[in-house]
Amino acid sequence: MQRSQTSKTPKQPLQVHKHQTDLSAWQKGGRIDPEKSVQNHQSPNDQKNGSKPDSLEQALSFFEKLQDSVSLKKDHALQKHLTTVESIALQRGLPPEGFAILLNVALSGKFADTLNTHLLKSLVPASVIPENSVVSSVSWLCVGKCSGNVQLLFLKWLITMFDFIDHKEQIYALYGFFFSFLQDEKMCPYVCHLLYLLTRKENVKPFRIRRLLDLQAKMGMQSHLQALLSLYKIFCPELVTITLPGKVKTYFKNSEGPWKAAINAVRQRNKQNSPVPRLLFLGTVQLRSRKRKWNTQLIIPANSTNKNDLEEDREKNHVDLYRMNESFPVEQLQTFPQLLQNIHRLEFPSQMGSVLTNPLLLHYMNCIKDESVFLRLYYWMSQVLQEECTWCVADNYQHEEEFKDFLETVYKTECFLQEGFSSCEEFLYRSLPLWDGFSCRSQFLRLVSWIPLNSFSEMKSHLYDPLAQLFFTSSLYFKCSVLESLKELLCNWLNWHVIHLNSESGFQVHSLNTTLSGLVNTVAELVHFVGWISTVALRLENNTTFLLYFILDFYETVCDMYLGYNLPLLIMPPAGIFYPALLSMDSVSLNQLCYIMYRYRTNLVAAKENELSKQKILQFKFSRQTYQEYNQYVIAMVGCLWTSSVFQKDVHPRGLRMDDELLKKTAVQEFKTSFNIVYHPALMGYAVHFLQQAWPDDTTFNFSLIKGKKWNWYLEYLYAQGLKGLKVFIESSINRVSQASHSKAGSVKA
Amino acid sequence: MSVVQPFDKLPIPNSAACLLVGSDEGLQQRLAEALLLEKKSFKISIHLATSLPLPSERDHLRPRIDLIVFMIDIKSKYSLENVEASLAYVDASFFLGKVCFLVTGVGRVNSCSVEISAVWKLGEAYCSPVLFCELELEGIRVATAQRLLRMLQICAGHITGVSALSFGLLMRNSDDN
Repeated sequence: MQRSQTSKTPKQPLQVHKHQTDLSAWQKGGRIDPEKSVQNHQSPNDQKNGSKPDSLEQALSFFEKLQDSVSLKKDHALQKHLTTVESIALQRGLPPEGFAILLNVALSGKFADTLNTHLLKSLVPASVIPENSVVSSVSWLCVGKCSGNVQLLFLKWLITMFDFIDHKEQIYALYGFFFSFLQDEKMCPYVCHLLYLLTRKENVKPFRIRRLLDLQAKMGMQSHLQALLSLYKIFCPELVTITLPGKVKTYFKNSEGPWKAAINAVRQRNKQNSPVPRLLFLGTVQLRSRKRKWNTQLIIPANSTNKNDLEEDREKNHVDLYRMNESFPVEQLQTFPQLLQNIHRLEFPSQMGSVLTNPLLLHYMNCIKDESVFLRLYYWMSQVLQEECTWCVADNYQHEEEFKDFLETVYKTECFLQEGFSSCEEFLYRSLPLWDGFSCRSQFLRLVSWIPLNSFSEMKSHLYDPLAQLFFTSSLYFKCSVLESLKELLCNWLNWHVIHLNSESGFQVHSLNTTLSGLVNTVAELVHFVGWISTVALRLENNTTFLLYFILDFYETVCDMYLGYNLPLLIMPPAGIFYPALLSMDSVSLNQLCYIMYRYRTNLVAAKENELSKQKILQFKFSRQTYQEYNQYVIAMVGCLWTSSVFQKDVHPRGLRMDDELLKKTAVQEFKTSFNIVYHPALMGYAVHFLQQAWPDDTTFNFSLIKGKKWNWYLEYLYAQGLKGLKVFIESSINRVSQASHSKAGSVKA
Repeated sequence: MSVVQPFDKLPIPNSAACLLVGSDEGLQQRLAEALLLEKKSFKISIHLATSLPLPSERDHLRPRIDLIVFMIDIKSKYSLENVEASLAYVDASFFLGKVCFLVTGVGRVNSCSVEISAVWKLGEAYCSPVLFCELELEGIRVATAQRLLRMLQICAGHITGVSALSFGLLMRNSDDN
């Protein structure tokens, strides 16, 4: 219905096509229609050149009636009409109905090659090319009446104009015919290119793969054959087992031929005048630079599948049983209800990359859990990432920006599917050792958080080592972002574990045949790695609170692994983290540490109870050492916060234990009662405020006044200041015999 | 011919000296400028050389060198050979954490003529870290300058509790040992 506006002829005298809804359907697509708002007005130019369409019409009807072999030189009428067609075609493009006529003439073989070549060269569409004109010309091609040159030219034309063809359903059906042309040595490269554009999953058959391999054996490694084979491999990695070179500069020679200038001219013209054809141009792949491959492939091609009856579908609004086997074109999938209605007859687009930007298809992918779909996506992605591994290119800023966008898209997809991609993992392992820590920083670090669970040896050399080097030499902010993404990584692993624990009989996750002990080891290595780099970083950055926050944030996940994620693993933070946090000048860090120690206690107590009650046979139990370490830390903490006895009682080898002689030298009077919740450097500020409020007249800051009942008030005051971590720690870990100041440390005994 | 020594002179308080060795003087200059532009809490002196040994006649004017950065351009084989030849004029105790290799030109991997593995091997053989960067891009140049400054700070002993040697050990890949 929109066609009448798009074609350049005011009348449509020759042929009316039945599939005319597709443009409107596509227009409704919303995906690629920034031009929707442009009005569909007829351009003034069309009216100005009103005489021309008439002459074109005459020319077309002349060619339609052209019967016998005529000489171009002698027949003046022919010359005149040919000139008309050529000039109009190159300026404004031909209307859809002209193609059948002209192709018919050019490929029938009745006329001289000069005429045929001229005609083919002038076949530039103004809007679309009707499918049946192409089909009939393919039948001419099969008859084989035209010369080799004309055949080649036609193929080049078809490749260039591929995206202008209005439907491709019937052309797809001709796949076998095109395939048979492969044996012609001259045509082979172009046929390969055409097949590359046409191939869909169902076209990939073992016999075709064999045929291609035979051809390759005969003709040597040809880039066009490789292209087709690699596409086959994308669709069916299980069938194409040969390895193909990953890095191929150009698969196909530039086959744009003589039409490029004309297409551009027509495009320019259409840009100014009519909105609809421009939509078509947005879908043409050939016109884009190849460098932008990753982003172009994110767009679902216009006619990726064969059905175009969306309108009908909407009207019927129910599932047609007799059409069960037909597939629903993914480019028309716009709403969630549509997805639900058509979920049984969806087919993934040939460009797997376009799935990344389509949430509906991602939903679909998530729900069908088809291994081969993931394989196709991985294969495509690893190809793109391998080719474009250069994240920074010295002379192309634009390139980096686009690459960033692509990585961002991949990350979002991973978040959506809650699944790390192995192709991304490979990319990271390849890139991290060469990375400067600056370009695409946030994208790289975000992708790190989705690295799938793996055996440690690989992670160590590929991830941890290069990351550690960058970490130690880079800025504080870089350190914090690394810690943040490692925390995300840990969370993703733990979530993965929980989900698979709950659905043990569920589907097998690709390439991860992890046992529980393997998982525990891998997680433990990650936690140890973070513990190690954090200890060093605190040293390098002089115990900055900012850094400490990120480190403790990581341990907030670690301390809850047993209860929160059902993983039989608890790892205490190393002393290099514990003591800086305990003696921090900042109440935030101390509060965080208190909360973490409280969670450790809860987890350990729960583990102990499970162990004692023997409700189930435990495969794992926490070692004595973990309990011991916890107890040492708790003694130090209680000493620091409550009993002022940390210098006497801390038994940790790297702890605060000091001889009384040494303490006397500090000239602090009453050192045995001077290091607790009142005097702690992180809390002293609170104590001062408390004193000011409790004894407004006293200006001596006599901290020893805070005792007995006042001590409890002081505690309430601290809790009211938001130190919730301190509250839960004190309430859980300190046994208060009475409400008096007398108190006693309590700890979990191993 | 004199060999660069790490401990032959007394250190100057609150200052650090860095020696950049590389065949591409233009890039060297730009890196040095980036190093000088960075905010820092100590005085820095940067010495540029296309190759070692350093001329001995001006030796008494030079401060103690805290860090030697060997710059290898990934696009030129010569730069690698030049660095390999210069390494002979560095005292062995320098390799206890006071040397690093800076590979430049990562942004033009397509015109790469030095094999990355050769650089890795060099780093392993001399127990020194290898950093990668693209000095032609300003952002990366600044980031690289910051990284080098942190290393220089450690090598000059300005960070309590971390020596050049211990830092060098941290920077080594764990499977080397």
